[in-house]
Amino acid sequence: MTTSVVPAPRRESAPHLRVEELRVHFTTADGVVRAVDDLSFAVDQGRTLGIVGESGSGKSVTSLAVLGLHDRRRTRISGRIFLGGRELVGLPEEELRRLRGRDIAMIFQDPLSALHPYYTVGRQIAEAYRVHHPRAAKREARQRAVDMLGRVGIPQPGRRFDQYPHEFSGGMRQRAMIAMALVNDPDLLIADEPTTALDVTVQAQILDLLADLQAEFHSAIILISHDLGVVSQVADDVLVMYGGRAVERGSVEQVLRRPQHPYTWGLLSSVPSLHGDADADLVPIAGNPPSLINLPAGCAFHPRCRYADRNGDRCRTQAPELRQVVERGHLVACHLPEAERRRIYRDEISQVGVAR
Amino acid sequence: MLRFIVRRLLVAAATLVVISLVTFGLFFAVPSSPAKVMCGKSCTAEDIAQVEARLGIDQPLPRQYTDFVRGVFVGRTYGEGDFARRCPAPCLGYSFRNNQPVTEIIAQRLPVTASIVAGGAVLWLLLGVSLGMVSALWRGTVFDRAAIGVTLAGASMQVYFFGLILLYVLVYATGLLPFPSYTPLTENPLRWAAGLLLPWMTLGFLNSALYARLSRAQMLETLSEDFVRTARAKGLSPRQVHLRHALRAAITPIVTIAGLDIGTSLGGTFITESIFGLQGLGKATVEAVQFLNLPLVMATVLLAAVFIVVANIVVDVLYAVIDPRVRLN
Amino acid sequence: MRGRTRTLTCGVLAVALVAGGCTRTTDSGGGGEEKKTKTQTGSISYEAADNRGPAAAVDGATRGGTVTVMQVSDFEHLDPARNYVNVQQVTGGLLYRALNGYKENGSGQLLLVGDLATNPGKDVDGDCKVWEFTLRDGVKYEDGSPVTSRDVAYGIGRSFAPSLNEGPHYIQQWLYPGGVYNAAYKGPYDGGKPAPDGITTPDDRTIRFTFPQPHCDMPYAAALPTSAPVPAGKDTRDQYDLRPFSSGPYKVKSYQRDVALELERNPNWDPKTDPLRTAYPDGWRFTFGLESAQIAERLVADAPADQASMSWVDVPPAVLPRTTSGGVAERVVKGPTQYTWVLNINTQRVTDLNIRKALNYAVDKDAVLKAIGGQAAGSPATTLMSPTTAGFHQYDVFNAPISGDRAKVAELLAGKRPKLVLAHSNIELRTQQAEALRKNLTDMGFDIVMKPIENSSYYDEIGRKNNPYDLYIGGWGSDWPTGSTIIPPLYDGREIVAEGNNNLSYLNESAVSAEIDRIRKLPAAEQDAGWMALDEKIMRESVPVVPCYYDAAYELHGSKIGNTFLSDAYGILQANTIYVKQ
Repeated sequence: MTTSVVPAPRRESAPHLRVEELRVHFTTADGVVRAVDDLSFAVDQGRTLGIVGESGSGKSVTSLAVLGLHDRRRTRISGRIFLGGRELVGLPEEELRRLRGRDIAMIFQDPLSALHPYYTVGRQIAEAYRVHHPRAAKREARQRAVDMLGRVGIPQPGRRFDQYPHEFSGGMRQRAMIAMALVNDPDLLIADEPTTALDVTVQAQILDLLADLQAEFHSAIILISHDLGVVSQVADDVLVMYGGRAVERGSVEQVLRRPQHPYTWGLLSSVPSLHGDADADLVPIAGNPPSLINLPAGCAFHPRCRYADRNGDRCRTQAPELRQVVERGHLVACHLPEAERRRIYRDEISQVGVAR
Repeated sequence: MLRFIVRRLLVAAATLVVISLVTFGLFFAVPSSPAKVMCGKSCTAEDIAQVEARLGIDQPLPRQYTDFVRGVFVGRTYGEGDFARRCPAPCLGYSFRNNQPVTEIIAQRLPVTASIVAGGAVLWLLLGVSLGMVSALWRGTVFDRAAIGVTLAGASMQVYFFGLILLYVLVYATGLLPFPSYTPLTENPLRWAAGLLLPWMTLGFLNSALYARLSRAQMLETLSEDFVRTARAKGLSPRQVHLRHALRAAITPIVTIAGLDIGTSLGGTFITESIFGLQGLGKATVEAVQFLNLPLVMATVLLAAVFIVVANIVVDVLYAVIDPRVRLN
Repeated sequence: MRGRTRTLTCGVLAVALVAGGCTRTTDSGGGGEEKKTKTQTGSISYEAADNRGPAAAVDGATRGGTVTVMQVSDFEHLDPARNYVNVQQVTGGLLYRALNGYKENGSGQLLLVGDLATNPGKDVDGDCKVWEFTLRDGVKYEDGSPVTSRDVAYGIGRSFAPSLNEGPHYIQQWLYPGGVYNAAYKGPYDGGKPAPDGITTPDDRTIRFTFPQPHCDMPYAAALPTSAPVPAGKDTRDQYDLRPFSSGPYKVKSYQRDVALELERNPNWDPKTDPLRTAYPDGWRFTFGLESAQIAERLVADAPADQASMSWVDVPPAVLPRTTSGGVAERVVKGPTQYTWVLNINTQRVTDLNIRKALNYAVDKDAVLKAIGGQAAGSPATTLMSPTTAGFHQYDVFNAPISGDRAKVAELLAGKRPKLVLAHSNIELRTQQAEALRKNLTDMGFDIVMKPIENSSYYDEIGRKNNPYDLYIGGWGSDWPTGSTIIPPLYDGREIVAEGNNNLSYLNESAVSAEIDRIRKLPAAEQDAGWMALDEKIMRESVPVVPCYYDAAYELHGSKIGNTFLSDAYGILQANTIYVKQ
């Protein structure tokens, strides 16, 4: 699935989703949580953006911000989010609500808890349809839901319609979730860890399904995952997040094969390769993700970065900006000189991990 | 489902047999004799023997118990000669103190308790659940904080205390309401409601405090569920999300507790009944114990047990109806 | 005999309070209040004017309205054969008429006169063995049929039935002396005769009792409900309790046990035949199941709906302070009842007369009273009989200060420190009272061991001859206001049996027994003074008890109830001539 062409933003049409300088801050009793800080990215129609990072890195918050699902009383969102040219930040809740499920749909990690246990799967899909097609008859909604169930590969969709989520297997449930997400032909699909709760063979099926559906519906997809393996399978572009900020961005080729940020290196070393040697040593990233209330000064990653000392005090005092590297479209936020990053990756990192 | 109910009913029957045996045994473990209580102080030994014979408590214990059980199924006869009295099945005994078959007493007392509980339950469920839900949805607001305060006070207050305060404020001091009394619903619905207003307010307020806290906690928990987020992500309106998705799930444990509460209360709300001078099952039970009125003690204790057992079955069935994941087998 | 039910019910010995006119009855109100004195004007009256109907009209009284009586618990029995408690007797008096009754007008004048009978009974041979009563003409049942002497005989006959045995058994025992009263005759049921031996009804209006032994108290016994008429055709046996057939001014309209009893007028009652009752209210409503505090609070509040209400339940201590202010105080009815409470000294165990005297000097009667509500609950006693007894006069053998005389106690104990076991009922009220006694006696130089007894078996325990206790409190009220129902049952040593004793001090002195026999043989008119003299003699010479207090009633009624006074006969608010203010 990976594409080897260097992604060139299609200038002829603006990207479908464009996020600029997004900041999401929550007020809590303990202080202000800077869940997302100064994040920018874009996704084109028919393309897939993978967002990776550890938990707490801000990837799910970003997707919820796009959907406008944060509690408005406790969340401060600034920046700009354009969907098909329309600015979403500051839009009244009612208008945002109309977009949700129709223009932007979401697939969640655990389909068992994400589906209401007391309602049949079919009813929940039909409900998603009817909320945006208020004039649709019950029968029509049902037919649409059955069609979608069939489309996502659920056998006997007519019978399955009347079953409850707990009567579905894990993979079937996620297919049902996907059916529900796609029932209104959304232009943007956000899949938040869509395969994490599934076993490996089912994972592959679901990812294939997503790819097929994207080819068919030509929608933009944001795939959120901590699993670089998954991202490498489906994504066209990759955004690596740490501590609420983007640390590296680029095409799958660039980020996964020629990563330049020490954090990305860490991620790559800590996942088993789908294609590679299962026995290879996995090297977890030392230390814990930072507190979003008290982010370390300077580069947020510096306390866990093996190379932080190579720049004197800079990593501790000055936050690095996301900058274009030599290769076009590849951006990295790191104080290490690019040449040194390349050398370290070549000499020390590429021995292990996905990108071998 | 049917098999489940049949099995539960069998267990219930066994429970009732055990409870009746225990009640019977406990009753006779009490040192004083009911005959003495009925006869009074001027009684001679002969008088007491006569009363004992009339009550049937001169028989050996096992015989008395089997007589009781037989009475339930085929009825029985009390006394002899001109004083013979037929107690038709289901005969739960004959109360000589009241000069009535126990079933008749219960038929008089149960509607009182049922009326108290029915009105109280409607009030506490409506008030409690809506307060809890609104408080959860408006979490952290002034309303929520006030509601938490009031319900904390309510939940920690005793029926006894609150009832007396209401009596003082609304009846004794101001005369705003009449002292509670019971008029059958079928006789005059308006007077029925007016006479029970105070006990309803008491039960309603105090229990609604508990239910509000419970509902609030449940609702908050449900609101953080993934399926609620899904519902919102679908573009459902807040109303649809809260009522159709969140409330439906949050209400389940409340139904369970309400069912058990109502079942338990039907067995007698003694404190409420006695504060407001209402002659319900609760007072009947306590008075029966006080006067060693065995047939009435047996009947009321068993009836209370029946209500609790039935409430349990009903709650289980309801649970299965509400939550498709529960299968009764 | 059972207890007059105090607010916090305690087993008392005697049941029915039928008491009498009293000489110099002191009505001790609150502290500093001036003592009022009532004058006894005689008890049994054969005066035609007293015995004639209708009853004197009450000034300002109006007919109509319904009186509500709020009670804690339902009546145990209303069947005249089973009726033996004062509240039931007063209520029964609204429904049926016995041969005799007590005529009262609130001035302290209490007369025993004929009710069904034209006068209180004729002692035919002057030896108190044959008594004849003539029924009034024109007394009718609720269905309009006439009351006959056969119905009175039948009513007494049915009181012999083992299933209806809860009432008083004086007349029954007098008819069949020696042994159990109903050993030979068990009532008109299962083939029995309609009336016992010794009762004859020569005609429809005459009934004659022939007793093997003299019973000069017969006029009093005939005032008990036992002699109320029951027509055989209306006898519903043990169901009669629920609906006695009316011969009085009211009949049962509805009765739901433990909930409410409603009475309505008996249209066939003729006031001209009735010297006792004016029957002003159109109806009565008794409500049961209230707590004493609720009753008192409601009557204090006097809400419009409760203004025509009253209660026979004493105001509990907690509500007392609210009954002393204006507006409420005038609705309080209080006064002595027939009960005297004494600290019994088990004379079998405490044989030293000096210790018994020392106890009389030691007991702090004020403290004993305070524990149960103070002045509202009673007044300190120095005699065995209550001030409501006929022929009563106050004496005080020891003349100790109310809180005790420490010097006298020390002198009598002469350096000893007696160890005594104090038994008490385990209910809160009695426990507090016993605790007050323990403190008081310990302080006075006794060693007191407390022994709580389960309330329901308290009188069984202390009524056992060989009980292991030295001191225990007990109360006794007479069935009628003469010493003959107080002194013999309580202080005649010959009455002592193994169990179920009323003589709780177990005093067994031949001098006392001899004196009892002597007084019984006196002409009826001289007996009252005889019993009073014996009362004092016992306290002076034998000292079997410490008289503690005379029980008092303290009742409330609503502002629309008129002609309210405490019945000297029953120790509770009267009902016969009460009215509802319109």
